[in-house]
Amino acid sequence: MSRSGFYLYHICRLALGGMFLYAGGVKADNVVVFARDVANYQLLPYAWNYLVAATLPYVEAVAGLLLVFNRKVRPAALLLAILTFVFMLALASVVARGMEIDCGCFNPGQGHTSAVMALLRDVGILLLALLTLRLRSRMLS
Amino acid sequence: MTASTRRILLEAGIIFCLGVVLGLSFNTQLVLDAFSGRLTTTSRPATVVADSVEPAPQAAAPASFPIPAILDEVRELLRVGAVVIDARADEIYAEGHLPKAISLPLGEVDDLLKAFKRNVAREATLIIYCSGFGCPDSFDLGMRLIEEGYEDVRVYEGGFPEWRDAGLPVEKGAP
Repeated sequence: MSRSGFYLYHICRLALGGMFLYAGGVKADNVVVFARDVANYQLLPYAWNYLVAATLPYVEAVAGLLLVFNRKVRPAALLLAILTFVFMLALASVVARGMEIDCGCFNPGQGHTSAVMALLRDVGILLLALLTLRLRSRMLS
Repeated sequence: MTASTRRILLEAGIIFCLGVVLGLSFNTQLVLDAFSGRLTTTSRPATVVADSVEPAPQAAAPASFPIPAILDEVRELLRVGAVVIDARADEIYAEGHLPKAISLPLGEVDDLLKAFKRNVAREATLIIYCSGFGCPDSFDLGMRLIEEGYEDVRVYEGGFPEWRDAGLPVEKGAP
């Protein structure tokens, strides 16, 4: 792998890992408010919103932490790519239903990111995750 | 699928499970409360006379967050005497609200709370609603009332729009 590819890999890994570590951390710190954000999507039975809110931030944080520490990069990046894809489906359903809610992506209960903006942002995050996965695979091959 | 791909998928699954286990271990009570917060037929009617009630038999430790309630649960809770609270502004309340709803707009809670606490027992089952799923006021008001010592606070997230659209009775008039 070229030197530029090497640096690009580490930048992608740290950016992706840091982002999800932060996203998971702030949501884990405010699970109840995050549960409300999840409920706003109107996709799950009520109590399941709490289950998702209680667990999803920790999944994000664990995967982010692994990326930051350069451990199990491919599985962590793949998991985050899958999660991001699921978020995109949820956001697309929000757009399709014409709802106006906060995406709850980062700081729960603070600010407002529309579903369309969040969807566009998730496209970038998905590409970042896939790029990290690919660069890591090339590095190991 | 190559062996390498299978291993990556397996490890991704393990990371996912690890996160879920961690999340559940940190939030066990929250999740248990959310799933057990569904209506029980033993719910006691609430009363508006603070000093004449006994503790609700179902109350274990007071919840630290509002329990979500669906339409059927709200109807059943109201049937057994729960107190319903409208967190929307007065003028919206006047256009239509749930029967017997107490108006307690989130923006005026500091002014109205004293009278509310005088009239509604801490042990009462409270159902708070606002303008539906996108409306955070009912949840925020629920958190505030829990801080004030109310032990059984439910949030009807479907709110007034769902109630009205279900063809259920609606009252009109200022608080």
